Amino acid sequence: MSNPDSELDKRLQALFGSLDTGTGFDARLIAHLRVESQADAAGRAIRAQHQERERYREELLQLKSWRRSTVRLLTLDTLGISLLLAIAVAMAWPHLSRDVADISRQYGPNIVTLLGVLIAGVPLVGMWAEQSRRPIRLL
Amino acid sequence: MLIDARVLELVRAERRDEAIGLLLPAFRRRVFGLAYSLLRNRDAAEDVTQDVFIKVWRALPRFDGRAALSTWIYAITRNASLSALRARRPHASLGDPDVLDAVDAVDPGPSAAAMAEQAALLRLVDQLPTKQRQVIMLFYMEEQSHEEVATMLAIPVGTVKTLLHRARATLSAAVGNVSANA
Repeated sequence: MSNPDSELDKRLQALFGSLDTGTGFDARLIAHLRVESQADAAGRAIRAQHQERERYREELLQLKSWRRSTVRLLTLDTLGISLLLAIAVAMAWPHLSRDVADISRQYGPNIVTLLGVLIAGVPLVGMWAEQSRRPIRLL
Repeated sequence: MLIDARVLELVRAERRDEAIGLLLPAFRRRVFGLAYSLLRNRDAAEDVTQDVFIKVWRALPRFDGRAALSTWIYAITRNASLSALRARRPHASLGDPDVLDAVDAVDPGPSAAAMAEQAALLRLVDQLPTKQRQVIMLFYMEEQSHEEVATMLAIPVGTVKTLLHRARATLSAAVGNVSANA
């Protein structure tokens, strides 16, 4: 006579022993993961692009601020140099020979005008240089 | 475990796809069985199994080898199965046509009488309390290892033995009654 428990074991084993996913499950899952993997890579690329754009923007801002301070410094320098030049000319004036004095008297207004144009021109050139630069497009 | 070390190695080498290639044959049946024991629906269990492996794949970069992979995977499976159970119809049973189809798929050529016996046994298993039903299914699916069933359900081995004993006693009595009534 067979043991009823062992019979039950056999029947339960037959019922659940080979329980598994359907055919093609692995292939479907791998295909799904491949799509997921590609989406993941695309997502990472987009994030990297955003990070790079942000880094570029920050560097550009830094560069702009550096240019602004340079222009400001240049304007102050120009003024200082002009002042020193004027003082130097005024101090040297009595010691200059008559010929130089004559030439200066003749071309004085032109020289002063040229100096004025230079003083006014340097910051304008600086500003123009700054505005004419366009940010490089990454994409 | 050997597989844990190998998977960790692959994860550290950023070779996730190969790691999944190792995990899939090792855990597919167990994950499916665990999901099926709770959901009692083949399609839903397959969906959960797929979902679990996708979640595992996504989380693999965070796997540091401190916990066992199996513990981690079974925890994901239990949570995913419970979420799926909450989301779907409440009265699924092992006696559903799709479950009977699943039995048919397991054994492609049973006689009509054998099919009827299997269906009857399935219905008896279905009537067991949830934990007993899960233990019975996983125990006979998992080559009768108490330890593996305990890990899968996150319960002590002693509890598995007790639940199994009770379930088998109930089934034995019920099968006897069914045979006597036939």
